[in-house]
Amino acid sequence: MQQITIERNEPMSGTDPALKPRLRRRSVFEYVAWVVCSLIGLGILLSVSTNPNFKWGVVAKYFTQETILRGLMLTIFLTLASMALGTLLGLALAIMRSSSIKPIAATAGVYITLFRGTPVLVQLIFWFNISALYPDLSIGIPFTDIGTKVDMNALMAPITAALVGLTLNEAAYMAEIIRGGFSSVGKGQIEAADSLGMSGRMKMRKVIIPQAMPSIIPATGNQVIGMFKGTSLVSVLGVAELLQSAQLIYARTYETIPLLIVASLWYLLMTLLLSYPQSKLEQKYSRATSRLPRKAKPVVLTDPEGAAR
Amino acid sequence: MSTDGTIHARGIRKSFGPKTVLKDIDLDIASGEICCIIGPSGSGKSTVLRCINGLETVDSGVLKVNGEDFGYYETDTAYHALPPKKLAEQRTRLGMVFQQFNLFPNMTAHENIMSGPVLVKGADKKEAGKRAHELLASVGLAGFGDYYPAQLSGGQQQRVAIARSLAMDPEIMLFDEPTSALDPEKVGEVLAVMKELAKKGMTMVVVTHEMGFAREVADSLIFMDDGYIVERSDAREVLSNPKEARTQAFLKQVL
Repeated sequence: MQQITIERNEPMSGTDPALKPRLRRRSVFEYVAWVVCSLIGLGILLSVSTNPNFKWGVVAKYFTQETILRGLMLTIFLTLASMALGTLLGLALAIMRSSSIKPIAATAGVYITLFRGTPVLVQLIFWFNISALYPDLSIGIPFTDIGTKVDMNALMAPITAALVGLTLNEAAYMAEIIRGGFSSVGKGQIEAADSLGMSGRMKMRKVIIPQAMPSIIPATGNQVIGMFKGTSLVSVLGVAELLQSAQLIYARTYETIPLLIVASLWYLLMTLLLSYPQSKLEQKYSRATSRLPRKAKPVVLTDPEGAAR
Repeated sequence: MSTDGTIHARGIRKSFGPKTVLKDIDLDIASGEICCIIGPSGSGKSTVLRCINGLETVDSGVLKVNGEDFGYYETDTAYHALPPKKLAEQRTRLGMVFQQFNLFPNMTAHENIMSGPVLVKGADKKEAGKRAHELLASVGLAGFGDYYPAQLSGGQQQRVAIARSLAMDPEIMLFDEPTSALDPEKVGEVLAVMKELAKKGMTMVVVTHEMGFAREVADSLIFMDDGYIVERSDAREVLSNPKEARTQAFLKQVL
């Protein structure tokens, strides 16, 4: 059999071939792309900074103005409140949807279809005007005298309508996300829990939900970010959230573009801030399947012997 | 009412859609008996096991586990399904070991073993923890308590799974091809644990392809094919001297 020998430290070349770096292939297209994209970027930057109509001074002036900040607070409140309530309702809907009792599963199915199948904007306006449909809402048991009456006009203030609309809509989406997470848990896991004699609730809490989390969390993070920007829709109800606050100012001063930039910068900033806790949560929930034991010492990587020649 | 680990079945039938998987199964397993079930894939041997602990429901027939009607209660005209709580209670008296281990990946080995006693039986955490330590040691995994299933080899996972079932103090242990998903190298360590268990006088029903294990440990052996029990007798008798032609043909292939 023929032996192939590779000489180390060949006298012909300067460096040891075993130590030569391996270079990535670069195509002509890559260089062209660098040039073209840089030119486009530079052009936009130049135009944005030199066009006086952007009025960057006005942007700076209103960026931390009180009306804007109050609007921002309301936007944050609406996002957190409707996400929290929507997730809870969504969890309930997801559990109902996977119920073996048909009417319960069907009720959740109809809810999800209705609320995902119509635009949020329409839903928001609908809830705002619900008093046209039910001027006095009476909650009670049909064909009996048991129940109470509520004046809908007083109840559905713009902010209530906004919260109700966003929550109910979000619940439908969260239900589908959570149900997707549930179905990502293997059948064997449920059988193992069953064979130990776990009750339905215990199985949900200790086996299904913890394992569904890694697939639910990233999707929920996206929903939070989407919801943060989605709250701008409630400006049509006259709720003075971030966008409406900006609109209120430019309705007076006619500085439309600078104020829209103010709002946009806040939306952008908050979105970037929100993606940090999301990645942290993602890390936390992926730890269950990580390779390191809980009490493991960190592995110190050392050079393999003889690497430093 | 006896609660001593017996299984009795008469005329069990089970279909999945148009396919009849179990056709008229009669079965008697005494307390403390080690029974191996062998047969080709699709013969219904796993389904029998899954019916015994209620992972599948039986279409018709009588099934008594630990001396009670399993999953149902009998009236003059029908069998009525038990409420979930009662079924869960019956299941706590049966241990099940799966081919794919099915440990909970979100819990450590220690937490997996404690999950049954603490979450289902409401046992004291300290007591259950101590017991889990003993059980881990008994399956040769002392010191592995803080490992997650993903950090353990297949054989180690299966031994944790056995310990998890044992933590419930069941009268009967069911094994569904416990070594089929393992490296040949790791089969021995799981079988060793099962042999230890067999010495302790617990009723064991083992669906397996390990003929060596059956010969060494089993009291009785059942050969199943096409939804029927073809042959049932003393384990060594069936393996060395099968009576039915179908059993002879099967054993010729696998031995």
